[in-house]
Amino acid sequence: MIKPRIAIFDFACCEGCQLQIVNMEEELLSLLEHVQPVEWREAMSDQSDDYDIAIVEGSITREEDANRLREIRKRAKTLIALGACATLGGVNKLKNLFDLEEVKTAVYAESASLPILETATVQALHEVVDVDYRIEGCPIDAAELTYVIKCLLIGRAPAPPNYPVCVECKLAENVCRYDYDEICLGPITRAGCRARCPSNAFWCFGCRGPVDDPNVHAATQVMEQYGKTVEDLKVKLTLFGTQ
Amino acid sequence: MGIKLVARARLDAWVDSLVQQQTVYGAQAKGDRFAFDRLERASALRLDYDVTILPPKKYFQPQREVIMRFNRKTVEFESVIDEEPFVLFGVHPYDMVAISQMDKVFTMNQFDKHYMARRANATIVVSSVETASSSVFAACMNNATMRGKSGHDVLITKLPSGHYVVDPRTEKGDNLCEGLAEAPEANAEALDAREKVLNQNEKSLRKYELRVLPEDLPALLDRSRSHPVWQEKAELCYSCGSCNFVCPTCYCFDVEDEMGWDMETGHRVRKWDGCMLVDFAAVAGGHNFRSKRSARYSHRYYRKGKYSWDTYGEISCVGCGRCITACTANIANPVEIFNTLAEAPQ
Ligand code: SF4
Ligand code: SF4
Ligand code: SF4
Ligand code: SF4
Ligand code: SF4
Repeated sequence: MIKPRIAIFDFACCEGCQLQIVNMEEELLSLLEHVQPVEWREAMSDQSDDYDIAIVEGSITREEDANRLREIRKRAKTLIALGACATLGGVNKLKNLFDLEEVKTAVYAESASLPILETATVQALHEVVDVDYRIEGCPIDAAELTYVIKCLLIGRAPAPPNYPVCVECKLAENVCRYDYDEICLGPITRAGCRARCPSNAFWCFGCRGPVDDPNVHAATQVMEQYGKTVEDLKVKLTLFGTQ
Repeated sequence: MGIKLVARARLDAWVDSLVQQQTVYGAQAKGDRFAFDRLERASALRLDYDVTILPPKKYFQPQREVIMRFNRKTVEFESVIDEEPFVLFGVHPYDMVAISQMDKVFTMNQFDKHYMARRANATIVVSSVETASSSVFAACMNNATMRGKSGHDVLITKLPSGHYVVDPRTEKGDNLCEGLAEAPEANAEALDAREKVLNQNEKSLRKYELRVLPEDLPALLDRSRSHPVWQEKAELCYSCGSCNFVCPTCYCFDVEDEMGWDMETGHRVRKWDGCMLVDFAAVAGGHNFRSKRSARYSHRYYRKGKYSWDTYGEISCVGCGRCITACTANIANPVEIFNTLAEAPQ
């Protein structure tokens, strides 16, 4: 069997998702028996223009990034968005809530006007190019990456969960965060993280993005029953739900 | 062995010796709530629990279980059967009723050897309810006590005096209670006190009052297909399946193959699934039999109050009240729905 050539790229992000790949250890060695990495800045020095699968981390914040991404898209047969920055725009999209010039001055002070610091509205990968598969999460769960790669290797379409985090949370038999008077985004967020946060006594902040058809109407109505407001809900949604 | 009257210290000593000898799962505290978990010592056992987050069905049909190992290349496969005997300690009567129903379901059309192996390996100690949960309505469904019911191996009931009546009901139960041989027999007074506890439970385990008889639910549901309540409530439904997963009589599952890295060997896993989830009724070709939220929403009630009646002659809502608390949208109360349907003019 010819091993598919795989390349990993990153844009604006913390590289935490790639770190999850590095941390796979033994699982990573098994994976590498089936694919051939040809470019991966975090782990190797080679560069390549020829690959079958491109795994792309991070969000797009500059026109030159958008162009580089279009170039990657052209070369890759399959493009996988890795992590919340890539699939949703992630925390980087908080920038979109402010005026761009203000943001630049706040971050770079006097140097803000340097051309190299040019910045634009943050976009997720699918807002720039077609994305074949998404691996959600901030950070990703490495088990989901292995699942997707295995599917590609045996020629099956990966099917990420299209049900809310509550499913995995119930399977883990957690006490619901609503019992503690907290707002949890679990009911509208896509599962796949094994309910990581509620399993560790924290509400879900929606890092895996919404399910296909989230019942936002229900979420707003339900707030009142818990003595909360729609504003309270919106605040929780800002982190990973900013457009 | 006869019925025993057991002081708390002796009960604890007995449980402590049981956990030394075998695998015991018992009701224990989990945060502010309760869950069945592996019991390490008697002091962790909370027979005063109100309700566990998940029902004990997880020990017969685990959330995720490997049912087969296979080799794609040689086309060899072998079933995986769980052989370990275990004790389930402190099951409430409504959950025991549910287990007995699941026994029917898993043997009805096809004998499910994975489920039945665990079932045969289990010794079940039912505990009469000591604390009513905030949403239990088992009494409305005639499931507040074990009166007239079977399936359990031992019944233990705490008396107001603080002593326990331990009542072995089967040979397995007798064997389990061997360690209590020295305890005194329960006298007439103790048995009388037990009857009073059971009478009391039949009164108090109804935090909601069902205004129809359980046996009238099939007919009620039959004439209520176009009731506006389905649409109305469905608008608030997240399709999160919490009401399914916490239900002791929801048994739907999905089967999936997981491949090893050699790309030859793998295993088949069975996982919990629920009819409230969007993709539950989706079939190959992209068709979804219940793509509408309202169709999924009503299905659960039909399943509990009519379809189970039609297929195995029982109402499959046992009245545990778990779905009521588990639903973050507060729309999953079967009593509320059935009463609403009953109010409609016929
Ligand atoms: S998704 Fe989260 S962990 Fe991954 S790169 Fe972005 S910020 Fe880092
Ligand atoms: S804690 Fe959150 S994810 Fe878990 S059941 Fe409650 S709402 Fe759902
Ligand atoms: S529980 Fe929610 S916030 Fe936490 S990892 Fe899962 S999707 Fe992300
Ligand atoms: S439908 Fe609700 S109350 Fe009835 S048995 Fe299931 S979880 Fe318990
Ligand atoms: S628990 Fe409530 S919101 Fe979730 S699927 Fe059931 S009825 Fe709908």
